[in-house]
Amino acid sequence: MFGYYFKLGVRSLRRNPVLTTLMVLTLAIGVAASVSTLTILHMMSGDPIPQKSTRLFAPVLDNRPAENYDPGHERPDDQLTYIDVVNLLKSGQGVRRTGMYGIAAVIEPPDKQIEPFWTEGMAPTRDFFAMFDVPFVYGGPWSEADDARGADVVVLSREMAEKLFGDANPIGRQVRLLDAPFTVIGVIGAWSPQPRYYQLQSGRKFGVNEDLFIPLASAIRHKSSHNGGMSCSARSDPGFEGILRSECTWLQFWFETASSADRADLQAWLDNYAADQRRLGRMKRNAPNELYDVPEWLVHMKVVGKDNKLSAWLAFGFLALCLVNTIGLLLAKFSVRASEVGIRRALGASRTDIFRQFLTESAVIGLAGGVLGLLLAFGALALLSLQSSAMAAVARMDLAMLAFTFALSVLAALVAGLLPTWRACQVTPALQLKSQ
Amino acid sequence: MEIRPILSSLMRNKTGPILVALQVALSLAILANALHIVGERRAAAARPSGIADEHAVFTINISHLRGDGPEQDLANQNREIATLRAVPGVVSVANVGQLPMSNSGWNTTVAVERSQTRESAVASTYSVADSVVQAWGLVLAEGRDFSAAEYVDIPMGSRDTPRAVMLTRALAARLWPNQATVGKTLYIGMGEDAMGIPVVGVVERLQDHNANIGERGEMSIIVPRREYGAGGATYTVRAAPGQRERVIRDAEDALRKASGDPVILHTRTIDELRAARYRADVALSWTLVVVSVLLLLITAGGIVGMASLWVNQRRKQIGVRRALGARKRDIVRYFITENVLITSAGVFGGVLLGIGLNQLLVNRLEMERLPLGYLAGGAVVLWALGIAAAYGPAWRAAGISPALATRSA
Repeated sequence: MFGYYFKLGVRSLRRNPVLTTLMVLTLAIGVAASVSTLTILHMMSGDPIPQKSTRLFAPVLDNRPAENYDPGHERPDDQLTYIDVVNLLKSGQGVRRTGMYGIAAVIEPPDKQIEPFWTEGMAPTRDFFAMFDVPFVYGGPWSEADDARGADVVVLSREMAEKLFGDANPIGRQVRLLDAPFTVIGVIGAWSPQPRYYQLQSGRKFGVNEDLFIPLASAIRHKSSHNGGMSCSARSDPGFEGILRSECTWLQFWFETASSADRADLQAWLDNYAADQRRLGRMKRNAPNELYDVPEWLVHMKVVGKDNKLSAWLAFGFLALCLVNTIGLLLAKFSVRASEVGIRRALGASRTDIFRQFLTESAVIGLAGGVLGLLLAFGALALLSLQSSAMAAVARMDLAMLAFTFALSVLAALVAGLLPTWRACQVTPALQLKSQ
Repeated sequence: MEIRPILSSLMRNKTGPILVALQVALSLAILANALHIVGERRAAAARPSGIADEHAVFTINISHLRGDGPEQDLANQNREIATLRAVPGVVSVANVGQLPMSNSGWNTTVAVERSQTRESAVASTYSVADSVVQAWGLVLAEGRDFSAAEYVDIPMGSRDTPRAVMLTRALAARLWPNQATVGKTLYIGMGEDAMGIPVVGVVERLQDHNANIGERGEMSIIVPRREYGAGGATYTVRAAPGQRERVIRDAEDALRKASGDPVILHTRTIDELRAARYRADVALSWTLVVVSVLLLLITAGGIVGMASLWVNQRRKQIGVRRALGARKRDIVRYFITENVLITSAGVFGGVLLGIGLNQLLVNRLEMERLPLGYLAGGAVVLWALGIAAAYGPAWRAAGISPALATRSA
């Protein structure tokens, strides 16, 4: 029977073309608005590394002076000092750990035809690549020995490798970077987690592609300045060495544990570490030391912007309006068919039959609205993508959102169809037949 | 016109009118809030940065690939500024540490007393080696610009105390409300380490490097100090009116020619900085404008649809009224009045819903409170929309022939 009702529903689309078009359009616009804003929220709040997001931890320590401490009301800086990063790297805690900072450096291509240009990347330690599941096309990460002596080696992104060396395997070739020759030891494949959870402190959260990676120790040795913010709570000695010894925070750190259950141990170790530092005259605030796993970190760093939430809320208000509108239009459409209902009821159809038939017809309208809404949503997302590379990275529909679009549209149409269908069921066959 | 019969007929068949009123209410609530946000974002994007005639100003960042030590860097900077000054069409040049609206720069805590344990304000710090009062056309509200003797060159990272400081009027008002500011001592940092610097001037306005919203965005200080040794510098150039594009080309060529080693130049106009700073705000504004237009179209469509339905349902009654002597305009007036009644109910609900929605936005997303003007304006728009939408069906109703009443259905 459902198949028959479905066929009737499709045929009924053509019966009242103006009203039907209006309904389908209204639903489609409402669905498109909600789906496109929701897609952005969905992509923004996705888990960038689901297989281990609860085993990766970012530590936050409060190293500021005790004088003006206002417990409970202050948020410590989200970055770490060089002193702490060096100590945490030596800690041996977790199965892997990496300390890093963002760099911006001029590359001088070996091919003199190409002008030198600015690149952006990271200066992490070796474990970075394994911790964050970075795939390699050629070569691999540098060794622990490279980390220890600050070797001048570089891992390039695939785009950068192609720009510098064409299609050839560039392993072993040299580029000039930070005014020194660096040897290419690896080329990574497509890797651009959204959001860029491993380094959110610079404020660039989406659509960032790293051009290159060099060992942390190498960047420090070349005194490469940091590409991001720095927060200093006390005066530092002059020069780069002064900053390394200072209480200025400008680096990032991650631990990876064998299981998420190891968190308590890591927290205990971190508390111990802070207590040790306090004995040495640092961390005088005795503020809580925090650990965030990836999902907590995304919330802490406010990855989903207020504007995105605002757009989604308004879009759903808009969908509600479209829903009310569709109820009215369906009422109009069904009310002129009272006689048809009367005849069917007189011929033996039960109220349940009528209910099924009209609700199926509503669902057909919802399906049509879903198809059109999906097209409109794709258009809206394409328009939004023009805004910035960050927006382009999140304004992308995945399979889950695709399915959701149809579900939302059909559900909206069914909800809108409830009242008009119920009304249609109330038709009294005798009255209807008499008035004819 | 009798309202009673209209009301009683509305009360007899509530569903349709309730649906229309609900649409009007939802439209008004969303419309008022959306337009409020558009207004806010537009206002934020239109705030002056402090730079006079922004279209004429651009900046060039120059990076030297071969660092030959701090002294060479200082010599480079001196040569570069002379090179830029010699470019025809250049009105003024200044060597600056950061730019308004660039999202990149330095903040420092400032205080009025050395003994303070909490800062008086956080200020964006513009380190300059030449007069930005001239290059950016800043307006002096009090005191004077830096004198030539006050500009100092310091190696990167050293912490010599600057000889003078200028601040924005907003910061001056925050630090020393209702007092003369020139002659006071401003402390950068706090405690033993704090640097006390005499204030020599107050500028009307200079936004911070992030162009933050609110008071924070107006808190800036200017210090006459040039750091050298970083292997590069940033220059801000004011070109003669209408000559910016040519001056940019000539300035880049001149800098490349004058440099002994390979350099990378990065040029941005203030217009570009402004566009980049407010790109997200402008995009959100346009999205909301589009949504508002669609909203009104859909609501109008809903009203037309429902009004047409009612006219169709009452064809016979209209015929009877016409046969009993009602004129065409009486019929039109009936439907318009009916619509105004429904829209008014919707507007009433919409005002409440709009305030509620705004309350939610204020609580959850820290938005600003909605001025009632937006609700009033939105109400007028929806009333007009309602009447315009009902006019077509009402006119068709008026065209129904009285003879219809005599026929049996």
